[in-house]
Amino acid sequence: MTDADDFERYLALYQAEVPTGIPGEREMRKRIRVPFTDVNEDDVRRDDLTLDEINGWRAYMGWSLWDVIAQRSTEGESGLIPRQEYETISFLQIWALYPEMMREITDAVGVDGLIEIGDRKRHQVGTKNNITRIWSPANCCHLGRAIALELGLESPEDRPRDLDGVIQFARRLMYGTWGAGPGFACGNDYKVRILDQELVDRFLDDEERLDDPDRRAVFRRFNATTELLGFLVHYDCRFGLQDTGPYEVPGGGFMLVRDHWLHEPAYPWTASTEGLPYCVIEAMVFRPDEPMDVKINDIGTTFTKPVDYLRHLSGVAVYAKDQEDTPMSELRRIDATEMQEITARSMSATTQLYRMLAEKDREQKIRDGINVYATDHIRPIARDAGVWEQLKPRIDELQELTLAGWPNLADGQAATVLAPLFVKGLAYRPLEEAPTR
Amino acid sequence: MSVDLDGVREIGVGINVMELDQVVEGRIRFLDSPQEVLSFVASDAVASSIVISRGGTTTFMAPALASGVCGLITLQGSPESHLGILSREFGIPCVMSAQFTEGIQTARGETIPADGTLVRLDVSSVPEGRILLVPDDGR
Repeated sequence: MTDADDFERYLALYQAEVPTGIPGEREMRKRIRVPFTDVNEDDVRRDDLTLDEINGWRAYMGWSLWDVIAQRSTEGESGLIPRQEYETISFLQIWALYPEMMREITDAVGVDGLIEIGDRKRHQVGTKNNITRIWSPANCCHLGRAIALELGLESPEDRPRDLDGVIQFARRLMYGTWGAGPGFACGNDYKVRILDQELVDRFLDDEERLDDPDRRAVFRRFNATTELLGFLVHYDCRFGLQDTGPYEVPGGGFMLVRDHWLHEPAYPWTASTEGLPYCVIEAMVFRPDEPMDVKINDIGTTFTKPVDYLRHLSGVAVYAKDQEDTPMSELRRIDATEMQEITARSMSATTQLYRMLAEKDREQKIRDGINVYATDHIRPIARDAGVWEQLKPRIDELQELTLAGWPNLADGQAATVLAPLFVKGLAYRPLEEAPTR
Repeated sequence: MSVDLDGVREIGVGINVMELDQVVEGRIRFLDSPQEVLSFVASDAVASSIVISRGGTTTFMAPALASGVCGLITLQGSPESHLGILSREFGIPCVMSAQFTEGIQTARGETIPADGTLVRLDVSSVPEGRILLVPDDGR
């Protein structure tokens, strides 16, 4: 068997054994000794975890990461942004910083405060405090640790308590978001029905039908163009978009609620997006005339069968959240005329950002990408906890561990190091003993 | 290799992002650098072009997506890649991880149709998308 054949086997099945989707999730549940990927009122409060709990979490998380991104592992290079390089180095930066930062956030608000922050996403849209900020930071820390071990920058005995802290930080946010039970989107059968019914009802009341093909075309262009800008603002990663749902619609059909972040004040290059809303929110109502399978994964991306879900779009309600701190009471509906204006300005901003990126040197783009990754994964939670300003200076400074990994990872080794860690699940090998207390 | 009555024949296959009924024909343009992308979108060839991108990420092709190319082909990536997701949102037919049986060699040794070649994307079914060479009397 060639290396390529071997790699294909690991892309087809996790660890060449476990499938993707709900069957895979159920298989992973059978394989772990304690159901620690479910959360409850009591077990999110403990600080010390058992070896079975840590390893069970890691086994499930390894499959979950593969489930989300293994198929993307072949997407290759950008030609504009060295994303694989900056992401891989970011994992070191995040592993260097986040365990301590997660302790600081928890110290500031307490466990109940953290649970309450997890709950906030149920009552608002246009917030980056979303499910991606639960799942992804936890994954980044585990990957960062694995890369540090792989490169010989750390040993397995180093920082024994940090994995417990990372896992419990995520689980407390999960409990606030989902309540007792499965803490992952995949564990909830890929349904992210977390918004209050009151909000869902409000969006349904505001629905405007798209029977007119011209109106439909205006929305579709608005949706695609703002999503594209969200990718560029966030250096080609998915921080710029998030879906929840599918919510049931009376009379049949379903609704997806989508956020696109256009003007993120955390980054200096968003001068290009000045004048655009911080975020636009699309409540999209579908009334399909054929069976549709709708899944939302743990980073809030929708996948459907059949793929062209927008063909079944029946109506929309679209809103702007003008500033990051705009309260829900000031969420503003936008009409077709404003959608066209935002589309035009988004296209212009896309061109400006693209030109800026084309002119930047590679090293600066890696540094910018690391900053986006290390900032956006924790800033929403840290802001809600009121401690972002105390964390920011450390985020902005490349850490010793990050700099130690840079030479290997920036110059062509990123894919070689990273691919087996997540495609084969090697980053999530069981720990041999519980962390030293 | 199949050849239709009208002389159309298959020269490549890949993963089709989205099943579409429409017939998509355009002239190939391989874009290999951000500068080439910017020059391309400033030209009047955008709407009649099927562009080839090496990678499956979104940002590299951002101006081409926003400007309304008629089709996309990538040499890497899958429908779950960012470019796959965005081509779906724009409704732009897209065949990913395409492999060609004939054409010219890129500087990296990949086989692709030469710029200006008239092709048709067969995106009528999933998972496979086909790239067909169209007889071109008009060139």
